[in-house]
Amino acid sequence: MTTIQLSHINKSFGQQTSRVQVLSDINFTAQAGQLSLVIGPSGSGKSTFLTIAGGLQTPNSGQVLLNQKSLPALTAKQRDALRLNQIGFILQAYNLVPYLTVREQFKLADRVKKQGNLSADALQNLLQRLGIRELQQKYPDQLSGGQKQRVAIARALYTDPKIVLADEPTAALDSDRVKEIGRLFADLAKTQHKAIIVVTHDLRLRQYADRVYQLMDGKISRKAG
Amino acid sequence: MFLALKEIKREKLRYTLIIAMIVLISYLIFVLTSLALGLAQQNTAAIDSWDTQQVVLNKDANTNLTQSLLTKDQVKKTDLGAKDAYLGQAPVVATAKGQEKTSAQFLGLAADQFIAQNLKLSAGRQANAKHEVVADTAFQDAGYHLGDKVTLNSGKTPYKIVGFTKNAKLNVAPVLYGTLPAWRALKNVGPQFAASALVSQRANFKGRGSQLQTYTTQQFIDKLPGYSAQNSTFTFMIGFLMVISLIVIAVFLYILTVQKLQNYAVLRAQGIPAKTLVSATISQAIILVVGGLAIGTLLTAATALLIPTSVPMSFDLPILGAVALGLVATGILGALIPTRMILHVDPVSVIGG
Ligand SMILES: Nc1ncnc2c1ncn2[C@@H]1O[C@H](COP(=O)(O)OP(=O)(O)O)[C@@H](O)[C@H]1O
Ligand SMILES: [Mg+2]
Repeated sequence: MTTIQLSHINKSFGQQTSRVQVLSDINFTAQAGQLSLVIGPSGSGKSTFLTIAGGLQTPNSGQVLLNQKSLPALTAKQRDALRLNQIGFILQAYNLVPYLTVREQFKLADRVKKQGNLSADALQNLLQRLGIRELQQKYPDQLSGGQKQRVAIARALYTDPKIVLADEPTAALDSDRVKEIGRLFADLAKTQHKAIIVVTHDLRLRQYADRVYQLMDGKISRKAG
Repeated sequence: MFLALKEIKREKLRYTLIIAMIVLISYLIFVLTSLALGLAQQNTAAIDSWDTQQVVLNKDANTNLTQSLLTKDQVKKTDLGAKDAYLGQAPVVATAKGQEKTSAQFLGLAADQFIAQNLKLSAGRQANAKHEVVADTAFQDAGYHLGDKVTLNSGKTPYKIVGFTKNAKLNVAPVLYGTLPAWRALKNVGPQFAASALVSQRANFKGRGSQLQTYTTQQFIDKLPGYSAQNSTFTFMIGFLMVISLIVIAVFLYILTVQKLQNYAVLRAQGIPAKTLVSATISQAIILVVGGLAIGTLLTAATALLIPTSVPMSFDLPILGAVALGLVATGILGALIPTRMILHVDPVSVIGG
């Protein structure tokens, strides 16, 4: 079953002389049950690619299909519901609310998505695995960059999304943590049949990926796994 | 509500300052309104206490009680019933040993008519004899006692205070209630004069006689010297204060909301509905304004208790309630104006390169 499909995507910013073509004619498919890794240097358009895939941004041309449904055809409300229920975004800027403790970040998710979130046990297991179980009473500004990043990962996975879109999820982590996150993503893809797309310049994740792509000069190309 | 309360809890300093600002603004408006009303009532408290509907003056008096004199001849065609009374007014200066001079309003009454009959005394008894008066409690506050003698103007015989009554103020001066013969003496008029005015509790009362003109009590009050000018000045002052305060509060809540947009963008990216964020913003505005108003009300009440009686405050609950509602409404408005921004906040803006 195809989960997410981008075809002939073009995206540019600016006008005329200051115009930058970030993505040109991108074709990409991510399957459920697979961890796809998109590698590219800084400024190559990885974040742009991921936000278009998640419906946060619209391309200049081309199509984004999510479970055969065209994203731009949905209403804003439907896209909200889709992001809430199906997609877990792990943003580069860490998606934490500054005035909520780690525990409350999950409570907030419970308030807007009443069903289908991880059970209390599953959440504790996840936090344990990410090494942040002891930090539940802390506020984001009391956490290190790496801890925040792991809380953001847990927050995105808490709603049990079918699709996980992660933007540089390991940028602030040491190698042991990177291994743990790589294994976690690979596990989630295999055992829970999620489609996981990670964009990164962190080559340490490569060994866990089912498919590896390279994003360069606006073009995407498949690399040998 | 969840987000609203959590944020207030986490950002205590910021929200304390905002609530403090709302407290001060509501306190300022409440106190000024009550002071203005207190002053307005000092003009009319005595008249209000008589509960009259109509006032009859000499038609040449230009609606001015002090300028009005009615002769017995002029009023003889007008029958007075149980709800009608003579009123003789004379501005006086009261002096007594060891007391400062006090400007007061002497009001001569007929002991058997309704004003004298209905006068609520806080101490003592009615004035029966010519040289007896019932004084406003302001005299008591100034140190006068029952039985004290006061000299009015430069009269030879002093007047004895035989009673005290509350809320006896006319034209911001305390009232001394006495008899009509005493009024004639203080006004230096002969026995052919009946009074300064006729007042009545009846709405259909009319003075009969070519020299008489009948006014409603409201018309009469509006013409009290300085009263209307004073009131419109205060109304405008308070009105401007309200409008400016409301704008200030709206601007503060606007800034507060704008500062949240960054966070909201993150939440929007996670699919948190805009509705949740809008209601968090509005409920927070309500919490802040209502909290501020509650504290402002307490401060106002404390001020009313502590302020000296010579500075009267008067509370008109409907007016203060309207002020409070106005503050809540603008608070909500201030929070609502940026809603458009919340609805259109671009999650991509926080994603970063
Ligand atoms: N909203 C935007 N407006 C203008 N230029 C943008 C915008 N978003 C991204 N870009 C540009 O597009 C290019 C790719 O950005 P991005 O997708 O963030 O790259 P990456 O995530 O790979 O570092 C960069 O040159 C960046 O400056
Ligand atoms: Mg990026």
